Amino acid sequence: MRSRLLPLSLAAVTLLTAAGCSSAGSAGSTGPAELTVWIMRDSLTDGLLQRFEADFEATHPGTTLKIQIQEWDGIGQKITSALASNDAPDVIEVGNTQVAQYAAGGGVRDLSARTAELNGADWLPGLAEPGKVDGKQYGIPWYAANRVVIYRKDLFAQAGITALPKTRDEWTAATAKLNSGDTEGIYLPGQNWFVLAGFLWDEGGDLAVKGSDGRWQGALDTPQAAAATAFYQQLQALGHGPKDSDEAKPLQAEVFAKGKTAQLISSPGGAAAILKANPALKDKLGFFPIPGKTAAKPGAVFTGGSDLVIPEASRHADAAYQVVRELAGEKWQREIAKEMSYVPNRTSLAGALSGNEGAAAMAAGAANGHATPNSPTWAAVEANNPVKQFLTQVLTGADPAAGRAASAAITKALNSAG
Amino acid sequence: MTATRARLGALLPYLLVAPTLLGAAYLLLYPVLRNLLMSVQHFRMAQLIRGNPEFVGLRNYTELLGDPEFWTVVRRTLGWTALNTALITVLGTLVALLLVRLGRWLRLAVLSALVLTWATPVIAATTVFQWLFQSRYGVVNWLLDQLGLHGFREYAWFAHGGPTFAVLVALVVWQSVPFAALTLYGGLTTVPAELYESARLDGAGRWQTFRLVTFPLLRPLFALVTSLEVIWTFKCFAQIWVVSQGGPSGATTTLPVYAFQVAQSLHKYDVGSAASTLTVLILLGALLVNLRRMFRQEREEQS
Amino acid sequence: MRTLRRLPLNLAALAVLAVAVFPVYWMVLTAFKPAVEIQAETPTFLPLHPTLEHFRTAVGSAGFAGFWRNSLLVTVGAVLLALLVALPAVFAVGRLRWRGRRAFVLLVFTAQMAPWEALLIPMYVIARDTGLLDSLTMLTLVYFMTTLPFTIVTLRGFLATVPAELEEAAQVDGCTRPAAFRRVTLPLLAPGLLATSLFGFITAWNEFAFANTLIIKNQDARTLPVWLSSFGNVFGTDWGATMAAASLFMLPVLLVFLVLQNNVTTGMTAGAVKG
Repeated sequence: MRSRLLPLSLAAVTLLTAAGCSSAGSAGSTGPAELTVWIMRDSLTDGLLQRFEADFEATHPGTTLKIQIQEWDGIGQKITSALASNDAPDVIEVGNTQVAQYAAGGGVRDLSARTAELNGADWLPGLAEPGKVDGKQYGIPWYAANRVVIYRKDLFAQAGITALPKTRDEWTAATAKLNSGDTEGIYLPGQNWFVLAGFLWDEGGDLAVKGSDGRWQGALDTPQAAAATAFYQQLQALGHGPKDSDEAKPLQAEVFAKGKTAQLISSPGGAAAILKANPALKDKLGFFPIPGKTAAKPGAVFTGGSDLVIPEASRHADAAYQVVRELAGEKWQREIAKEMSYVPNRTSLAGALSGNEGAAAMAAGAANGHATPNSPTWAAVEANNPVKQFLTQVLTGADPAAGRAASAAITKALNSAG
Repeated sequence: MTATRARLGALLPYLLVAPTLLGAAYLLLYPVLRNLLMSVQHFRMAQLIRGNPEFVGLRNYTELLGDPEFWTVVRRTLGWTALNTALITVLGTLVALLLVRLGRWLRLAVLSALVLTWATPVIAATTVFQWLFQSRYGVVNWLLDQLGLHGFREYAWFAHGGPTFAVLVALVVWQSVPFAALTLYGGLTTVPAELYESARLDGAGRWQTFRLVTFPLLRPLFALVTSLEVIWTFKCFAQIWVVSQGGPSGATTTLPVYAFQVAQSLHKYDVGSAASTLTVLILLGALLVNLRRMFRQEREEQS
Repeated sequence: MRTLRRLPLNLAALAVLAVAVFPVYWMVLTAFKPAVEIQAETPTFLPLHPTLEHFRTAVGSAGFAGFWRNSLLVTVGAVLLALLVALPAVFAVGRLRWRGRRAFVLLVFTAQMAPWEALLIPMYVIARDTGLLDSLTMLTLVYFMTTLPFTIVTLRGFLATVPAELEEAAQVDGCTRPAAFRRVTLPLLAPGLLATSLFGFITAWNEFAFANTLIIKNQDARTLPVWLSSFGNVFGTDWGATMAAASLFMLPVLLVFLVLQNNVTTGMTAGAVKG
């Protein structure tokens, strides 16, 4: 029995190597193209993605789509590896704050020749510009969105709030009123740094500033940052949001769907995720722009969104382009606008949002839209986000050095040459 | 016939160790050399994707050595290693001394418990500790609250540098004490009882007995245990990365975490390689003593 | 009187016992508790209403079977490969006289202490260059190399306990030296082989850093430790399911330890197994 150990192990090794080879070999197979498409978590609802997949496969015989949902956590490292490999996905959704890095780093297909066909003249600048390096268009604008407040109409009515808040003071007063008994006034996790950025812009500050010497300097140790975090803290305390986590852990839409939360800060598309988790909330959700310091101007918001890129290493570049063309084209832009309330990639398509309650609130807020520091190295900041850690530190008891440490971390990451 | 056979016989040992050497050449030596090479190149995201890195001499090293953050990380790593090793050794010794004095059943129970702890996979233990120290429903906060420390109600351990550091130390110590305790216990059982007896007759107290009898006898074993713990805690990566990714605000960034971060998050593979090289050099310095001892042992074994 | 004197000692032992066991107990307990009890203001310390719901969630989570398969393939592959390569080397070191033997032993000792975590970056680049990024093959090779030095050192320790005279006697009967080794010594070495491979199994099964670096874009090729480490993404704040997954992950290791219980101390002193 014992002497059989060796031949047995030999056989097993042969078996294993064989198994390893076959799985590696299948990736290089030719024949009908199978395209891998990376879409970020909660960008689009599952239903919408399935509809797109079915439609695309029906209109493009011989091509099948494999849509993979990616987590934001650690995405930078993942995309870099994908771009550097010889077996990359064919289409990747990239956040508009991160696309510049990949465009600058190489490994992404230059799609300048296609801009005319895609009506590039009409693109939203906030999506087109980060995707462009040295006059070449690498990232194709997909959709834009900014955050609004999603609220429960019924809970507002119960609390006797008739007018939607237009200023910060009205907002905190209303939220405090809602925050009683079983109901939490607002679910705001401690690390929603996009929300903080909005408050910071309201104060006239920024996440980082560029000096005359071209060097970036993190700016979380300023009086403006202190004022912004103070307001964040005030708001955050009017609910049970975890101080040491972001909106993805746990998924905030699912928390809201439990029905005990009156407000949530999210892109209007978050409503789709909420209704999926709890269809009973249909007709109970409303939207309003994040209130500003005065009623004259809505609160500043981060203009978020995504671009689509095709890696150089994609083995089906032409078919991949067809996917990009469809997703960025009018038909699906309208579908996406309707279901997710996202702003379409072209200004002329804005009409797709008319009559959409969430989009109206978003458009009002977009008037005061801002962007993250415009640098290819900004993605390095997000890769190990000091703003999130800074927020948690502030919320769990002020650490006077936290602002300085976070600023230093931003400074360092932004000035690291590519 | 016999001549070829003899030649074959002379070659045999080399053939037998060849697979090991080949494996080590490709999977150990080559990465080490590649690491050294990258550390003197400009190797960033663009070079990773497109190739053609440029030779830049020692620039990456000067960048690192001139960076105050690097020195903070070095100091933190040494502190982390020293603190963990000291705690593990002291607690391990105490547990080992306890074990030899216990009755049979209790000893068996404690031994089994130690083996259980030792067997717990790193990532499983790391996950459990995150749950134990969870702010809202974590049992540690509940316990501290019950003990009258109400400041710990819903306390967010992973929000601050110090507490995160403390949890990581607790985790590493919890995982490592069993190895130290079991090894030292194994050594203690070999100490002849007569030695203790004569020490007692000479009027030595417990501490003196330990210092004058037990410790000198087990000195090699202590050296082994501490060396292994130094290596283990110095290069500890998984626990820190999973719990805090070196945060918050870099408060738990030790050298291995730092090198990985610089390479994978900032895409400075070159500076990361340089940091790795320096990490190895620092660790090597700490281990030189141990290596020499091993070598001597090896020689004694042969003669 | 005697019991009274032993009281502090026994109390200390109980304290050690509690600290050692509690985290594991808490993990398993949480895995079996209904969600209401997990999220209770006052925790309960006994399984009053055990449920398998969390285990169902864990087992039913996307890709669960695949991650098990990956971990098993990589671990078993690495261990067997290490044994195959180590055995001849151990024979050469333990039974033959040749120039360079001491250097080889020193090399193995040094390799055993290689700070692998410092090689994450070059390994990543090498894997990329050779098209082995995201493949289980590369991970298997790395685990093979990380367990090999330890395998050689430990097996050498076990071989030293088998008298060479037995082989010599077989040689007198007409066997060649390697044949004598195979027929006579190898069977006697079987417990050592088992112990060594099981230790290797544990090392590879638990490995996180390389699995986290070398498997990046192909999520289906992830191994259990990496999957478990991202429990926040997988289970959100469902601590019951997370603890169930952790318990399941730990199970094979515990089984291995049960098999090993007699060899644990032998293996430890022979090879000083650690991270």
